[in-house]
Amino acid sequence: MGEPQDGQSRPGAFARAWAKAVSGTSYLPMTHAQLEALLQRLTDELANALRTEPLDLRVGYRVGGELVDAHIASAEGLGRTVEVLQLRLVRDLGLVADDIDDRMARLLAAVATGYARALRDRTLDEQESIRRANLAARTEAERALRASEARFRHQATHDSLTDLPNRKLFADRLAAAVYEPERKARRIGLCFLDVDRFKRVNDSYGHQAGDRVLVEMAHRLRRAVDDHLVARLGGDAFVILVERCAGTGDVVAVAEAALAALAEPTIVDGHEVALTASIGIVERQVADASPDELMRAADSTLHWAKAAGGARWELYDAERDGRELARQALSAAIPAGLERGEFYLDYQPLTSLHDGTLLGVEALVRWRHPQLGVLHPDRFIGLAEETGLIVPLGGWVLAEACREAGSWTTATGDPPFVSVNLAVRQVHRPGLVQEVSGLLRRTGLPPRRLQLEITESTMMNTAEEPVLALRALADLGVRIAIDDFGTGYCNLAYLRDLPVTGLKVAGEFVRGLRAPEAHADERILASLVSLAHALDLTVTAEGVETGGQAERLRAIGCDAGQGWHFGRPAPAERFLANLR
Amino acid sequence: MQRPDWAPDDIDIERPSVARMYDYYLGGSHNFAVDRAAARAMVEAVPDAPLMAQANRAFMRRAVQYLTDQGVRQFLDIGSGIPTVGNVHEVAFRAAPDARVVYIDVDPVAVAHSREILADDDRATVIQEDLRHPDRILAHPDVRGLLDFSQPVAVLVVAVLHFVSDGDRPADLLRTLRQALAPGSYLVLSQASDEGRDEAQRVEAEEVYRRTDNPLSVRGRAELAAFFDGFELVEPGVVWVPQWRPETAESAENAERAVFLGGVGRLGG
Repeated sequence: MGEPQDGQSRPGAFARAWAKAVSGTSYLPMTHAQLEALLQRLTDELANALRTEPLDLRVGYRVGGELVDAHIASAEGLGRTVEVLQLRLVRDLGLVADDIDDRMARLLAAVATGYARALRDRTLDEQESIRRANLAARTEAERALRASEARFRHQATHDSLTDLPNRKLFADRLAAAVYEPERKARRIGLCFLDVDRFKRVNDSYGHQAGDRVLVEMAHRLRRAVDDHLVARLGGDAFVILVERCAGTGDVVAVAEAALAALAEPTIVDGHEVALTASIGIVERQVADASPDELMRAADSTLHWAKAAGGARWELYDAERDGRELARQALSAAIPAGLERGEFYLDYQPLTSLHDGTLLGVEALVRWRHPQLGVLHPDRFIGLAEETGLIVPLGGWVLAEACREAGSWTTATGDPPFVSVNLAVRQVHRPGLVQEVSGLLRRTGLPPRRLQLEITESTMMNTAEEPVLALRALADLGVRIAIDDFGTGYCNLAYLRDLPVTGLKVAGEFVRGLRAPEAHADERILASLVSLAHALDLTVTAEGVETGGQAERLRAIGCDAGQGWHFGRPAPAERFLANLR
Repeated sequence: MQRPDWAPDDIDIERPSVARMYDYYLGGSHNFAVDRAAARAMVEAVPDAPLMAQANRAFMRRAVQYLTDQGVRQFLDIGSGIPTVGNVHEVAFRAAPDARVVYIDVDPVAVAHSREILADDDRATVIQEDLRHPDRILAHPDVRGLLDFSQPVAVLVVAVLHFVSDGDRPADLLRTLRQALAPGSYLVLSQASDEGRDEAQRVEAEEVYRRTDNPLSVRGRAELAAFFDGFELVEPGVVWVPQWRPETAESAENAERAVFLGGVGRLGG
């Protein structure tokens, strides 16, 4: 409960009556006692004014204003104030004067005027303030909208993990750099960066730790490359855009700074980890560039850096890129080439070192390319193996070899066997046994006249299936030879388990026989031969180019030879003619 | 409540705001034509509407006075509205100059106006938030910055709950707030009641408020008392607001005309 404040008189009967009259006419933010004290003070002021000559109407105005200021500010409040003042003020206070009615009326008018004035001013002020608040709220809402739009724009163009620009922003900036007309004369550079073997970090420490490393890498890159744009393309791949560069040196400097920044050891999960990165650099005149081509070139170059062992930058080389593009184009043309019958077979003799007779021939595939002319297998077999096209291509070679060999005739004895290379993928493919037995049935080629050459690496995988398939083929009577023996996977255990019938020794051992004092190669060959013979295998030497080599191989006990000395690869008719 | 968090609130002065209507009932001019039209329609339906608002305001003033007398120095006023005369900080600072007051309102204009009024006072602040997100209120840095929840805090939810429908689970909202409070804290509640009301009037009033963003959910004495779950009701309990510790006997007369029930609860322990 409020008490009358010090220095104020206790409310008299009139002030109490006035308080009672106005309470409830509007919300009063004060206690009843405070209200009575206020009205007592105003009563005293009005009484003084009525007693004082001349009558000061400003007192009336002020009292009206004070009522409004005290929130006695409703129409009813004014009405009841007028009523109680008119009826009771003069009487209750015992004021006596000749002109008291006249003075009272003028003072009352002043109170009402002051009240109305103050109420109007207050209303205008409040309206003004609410309008200002509305404006402020609108401004705030617009600011919030703009901020959220900006946030969305940022999210759409930045990587959420590292907050680096993302692929989209990078693509936009690159396109702007390349396509703006006045930039044609300038040069532009790209560093395509990828952390080496980053998967190991994820595998060893978990993806969260991996993410932290990426954030750290992003941070370092941003610091290392000044104001060049660094974007994260995804995973551990980043790209740096070097605009307005003066030449290759500028971009190389950026790449080296980036590699140096990433080379600092990183703490991952409490462990110090040294990471390296590879960078593919492309730098050229803007006029010669398109965004897609720049990215493709940088990507290829990055792969060269990776292939060279990583932890390095590699500069784009148009010639090398051209070769690789040509290789890719060539591999892409294999299926159509097969369909159009552009492939054919040549055969190279496998000759007995004992009596010089033709034992067999190795089928070698050729591609009569419509633009490039005749291509040898070294131009396209590697590609076909990388892309998996070796399966249809190898299948065609096998079928064609069986078909042709099945039609060979000789004057006396068996025609030579045909030896066909089987790629790793072919051996590992289910259905090989059915494929071969079907071919033999359809072509009428006796199984003993088919030799399949597999490489040692085919046996690296110890899976059951290929071994079973080879055993089934051997059971049919097909010969199985290990090609390029001694250059690859030199585990001899498989020779014990596999139904192998012969070994083909790689030409590099034979080449060593040229020098008279090449004892090492000769001794290796001699041991290979005795090993093979101990296992009941025949040995064929590849790459025999001279009579001297043939002579030495025969002396060692080698069974057969293959190479220019005995005959170059040629169409089947060439050697068939000699046999008729 | 469908609007995503990032979207700013609309400022729509073509739509009446309950905060500005309340201001009009209290005799203020912090309102727009649309608010006055809605408020007049309300007065037509329920002639005592301004009286109700005034009685509520007086209840809040007496409650804050009571709480400062009990030694409470921290106030969290949720649904504070337009800071029309006699707001919590004015009452609290008069009694206890070291008090702290945080106002919460969902109406952006009310918030902007409060901000202007409180600009120079670092003992009070205002944030724009919704009673229906007590977690966000409690976690707000400005709330945490000004109020120390290890000390008693008075939470005021005055003349607001009738704008919270049962579907928004008001009891759960209050429980969330209660769980953040230290022993010795208080809850001040008031809300419109349908007790002893004319059904036709209630329907008309609901019709008026349907035009605002805040439809009415009136409740009875037992429901309001249940909202004090976990608190001990201070004498005289849940009553018509003029009956809550009145200053004069006659100010509590015809108390049911105020339509608002209110009470104050203390968190023990």
